[in-house]
Amino acid sequence: MSRKIIALLLSAMLVMFSAVGCSKEKKQEEFDANADFETIVEQAKGSTVRFYGWGGDEQRNKWLDTVVAPELKEKYDITLERVPMDIDQILAKLSGEKQAGEEKGSIDMIWINGENFYSAKENGLLFGPFADKLPNFKKNIDENSEEIQKDFGYPIEGYEAPYGKAQIVFINDSAVTPEAPKNTAELMEYAKKYKGKVTYPALPDFTGSAFVRNVIYDIVGYEQFMDMEADKATVKAAIEPALEYLRELNPYLWNEGKTFPAASTEQDNMFADGELALSMSYSPYSVALSIEDGLYPQTARAFQFEKGTIGNTNYIAIAANSPNKAAAMVAINEIMSAKLQASQFSVLKALPVVEYSKLTDDEKAMFDKVDIGKGAIPQDELLSKRLPEMPAKLVPIIEEIWAEEVVGK
Amino acid sequence: MARLYGKVSSALGNNHIMRKLEPYVLLLPFMLLGLLFFLGIGNALLQSLGYIPALGLSELTLSYYREILQKPALLDSVKVSLAIALVSSVLATVLGVLLCAAMVHTGIAGGWRLQAIKLPILVPHMVVALFAVTFMSQNGLLARTLYQLGLLGSQGDFPQLLYDQNNAGIIIAYLWKEIPFVAYFVLALMSSVSSTLGEAAENLGASRLRTFFHITLPLSMPAVKKAFLIIFAFAFGAYELPFLLGATLPKALPVQAYVEYVNPDLRHRPYAMAMNSIMLLLTLAISAVYYWLLRKDFKGTGGGRYEK
Amino acid sequence: MKNKRSFFQKLILYTAILSIAAPVIVLLLWSFASRWAWPRLLPAGFSLRAFEELFGPHSPVMPVLLSSMGISLGVAVLSAAIGTFTARAIALYDFWGKELVSFGGILPIIVPGTAFAMGIHVVFIRLGLADTVLGVMLVHIIYALPYTVNIMLDVTRSVGDTHEVQSRVLGVSPSRTFIHVSLPQLMPGIMSSISMAYIISFSQYFLTLMIGGGSVKTFAVMMVPFIQSGDRTISSAYSLLFLASTAAVFIMIEALIKRFAFWRDKTE
Repeated sequence: MSRKIIALLLSAMLVMFSAVGCSKEKKQEEFDANADFETIVEQAKGSTVRFYGWGGDEQRNKWLDTVVAPELKEKYDITLERVPMDIDQILAKLSGEKQAGEEKGSIDMIWINGENFYSAKENGLLFGPFADKLPNFKKNIDENSEEIQKDFGYPIEGYEAPYGKAQIVFINDSAVTPEAPKNTAELMEYAKKYKGKVTYPALPDFTGSAFVRNVIYDIVGYEQFMDMEADKATVKAAIEPALEYLRELNPYLWNEGKTFPAASTEQDNMFADGELALSMSYSPYSVALSIEDGLYPQTARAFQFEKGTIGNTNYIAIAANSPNKAAAMVAINEIMSAKLQASQFSVLKALPVVEYSKLTDDEKAMFDKVDIGKGAIPQDELLSKRLPEMPAKLVPIIEEIWAEEVVGK
Repeated sequence: MARLYGKVSSALGNNHIMRKLEPYVLLLPFMLLGLLFFLGIGNALLQSLGYIPALGLSELTLSYYREILQKPALLDSVKVSLAIALVSSVLATVLGVLLCAAMVHTGIAGGWRLQAIKLPILVPHMVVALFAVTFMSQNGLLARTLYQLGLLGSQGDFPQLLYDQNNAGIIIAYLWKEIPFVAYFVLALMSSVSSTLGEAAENLGASRLRTFFHITLPLSMPAVKKAFLIIFAFAFGAYELPFLLGATLPKALPVQAYVEYVNPDLRHRPYAMAMNSIMLLLTLAISAVYYWLLRKDFKGTGGGRYEK
Repeated sequence: MKNKRSFFQKLILYTAILSIAAPVIVLLLWSFASRWAWPRLLPAGFSLRAFEELFGPHSPVMPVLLSSMGISLGVAVLSAAIGTFTARAIALYDFWGKELVSFGGILPIIVPGTAFAMGIHVVFIRLGLADTVLGVMLVHIIYALPYTVNIMLDVTRSVGDTHEVQSRVLGVSPSRTFIHVSLPQLMPGIMSSISMAYIISFSQYFLTLMIGGGSVKTFAVMMVPFIQSGDRTISSAYSLLFLASTAAVFIMIEALIKRFAFWRDKTE
């Protein structure tokens, strides 16, 4: 065997390891979020900020790349880099970096909410407080609203800023099924009539979970959950009537309730293909977008329960080890501006987080002229029937109970 | 770099020492990467024992293991994973060998037909899941074709291949990917054996069938067995297909681990790691038994030129 | 009798090819479809949404595709090289720990991906390899090695070292022997290894995401969220592009094998 080749190998290895061996300079100067916003804008000038979040919505990706990014570049000379990554991987990355003592990571902004926010904040992965220091937060957002103070019942304390709102709605095709069940009793009748064509995504899918919570609210009310103890027995006792209902519903469901679609996306596809008569979605206006794209028939429409459907807000947070907190704050601030919120509403049909009454007349006009599209519920009606999310800790408990008490029963 | 190389080169001047060192030097990159690999596993093991200081967990404990092992759902998950892996791997191996034989005997082992057969190897598992749903769901193309031919009454009449505890859809999906893999993996060896010893046997008067079963197949076995082990281990530990195509309950073991892993409560991480370790142990045990039973095939230079 | 067998075997062959081609055709159809509901055998609506997403002016897809191909080719060549050397050691030498090494080679396939990725992540951060292309390449190589080592093991064993020994006996230096005698004989195996390693690297999603941390964007990383989101039009288009680019690389590799054809006398 050639001496030369071995020598080459060894040398290459030595070179490679010396290159890898040198440690990175990790100390970064202290960033002061309390500084004057003008100063922060100055600091952010000319830098790149990275926004990590789910990348499976090509319209949102496009909006971020073609509307938000140019706006930030033009106004503040900040380059926005969008990085597609699921929230669980983002949190895994951050906790790995925390473990390794990495003070300068690569994530700046994170699209986050609910249990994930709770977990990230509890484990010290987020930077804050910062939200209340942003001019647009003070100007456009209703700081005292329950949804702005708490995320899934958990105090935010300025660690994340509102991005968009969501509310769960039901969707069906009025040409195929003219009925739009207004409560759980009507839903049972509906399922009986269209046997095998109704179901919901298996928990712990986000949407499926929300559906079950909505059923619970409809049957036993929601107030009792707002300060309930996160104890399995207590929760189970409280939701027993709803469990009974779900079990009763099983035989009329798709696959007789023995198995459920693994994710809401599967359910949406089954609905689009005509395999299911009913679907549900957290984006209340996705109906309009899907009709526009030709995915759903023209006669598809969204509807709610009379007592209301669950709504929540999604937010943007800043990583504790973000290398560019200044630009992150500036970018987040801009996303809360009336202009970008109106754009988000118009292009993505995502519910804005700004408080309408706080806007100037010009700004109000921007929102008024948005056409919500076919099949969607008008905003004021939608919001008038909006129910709050329950505390994050209860959610996994309900999911566990569902798996034990409902599936295949 | 050239200087360094020169120095190392002359340092290796002594032939006797070099001869002894040769295998180890050849193995150097492998060993280094192996080291990295074991560091990674070790870390994962630590996490399964509850050691994740970044999340405030700094005590080593077996409690996560204990909790998981006490749940009856675990045994169900293991059974599901084993069933899927075993059935799909055995079928894929048999059918793959058949396909390989067909390729070798018809002489069509090249050109566009070979490329076509290699295609599934290129397709990522997630895309295979997409195919599975498109074809095999009750709303899928197979059902629609039968319906159009008047052989099917409605969607509900089509057998439940997906999302069902029979896991048929998952197995078929694995087969689609793994039959070509086995065929390709064994092809080089089988065609080489067939064209030399196989032909020789036929020239001496043996029938095609006899030649295949007594000469070609047995001599191709090392590759066949290795292919089996690879696809079995993979099918046992992969989560994508059972997650996307499987029943809600019982979940296959890797799916269960994945669900724990994506749980927003980061403190569930040790559960995921513990499940992964259990999976790893099971696969290791099976592989060890496998290796021990077939150690002749893996040992020494005995597998060299068989002409001798 | 011979004709019947031949027919039966051709049947097997073409059935296989058909069942492989059918899904790919469906992929093509879905890439341009908007709706394809029951009980249609062909899509109902036509849409260029996917086309725009992939090839539109704002799309980062093409540059990412090219850089991903580069990364995977690098991984493939390195994995094949390391596989060759390792297989050589196992096949032609006798040394302590040999069986262990043999067995260890299979481990990356056995170890669950999430466990390994999470474990190695912290190690890589400390080594400064996280969020780098080199780090991503290293983990890809680790995953490809079981395949390349095994392929090269079979090939090395079947080629043996008689020719090499003869060459050395005739006075040719070790390096020349390797380059002019061994290498050509091993070439088909090496090309197979390169193909296998390439596909393993190019399809990696979770590993690339964890170790690359989002800083290293590969085509798979961009594609998978769409498959997960259930958007069939766009996932089909992405998948088609995935397959087409991989097929292009493979054709290139096959062409290179033909260049070395005169060293080979076997089928294929």
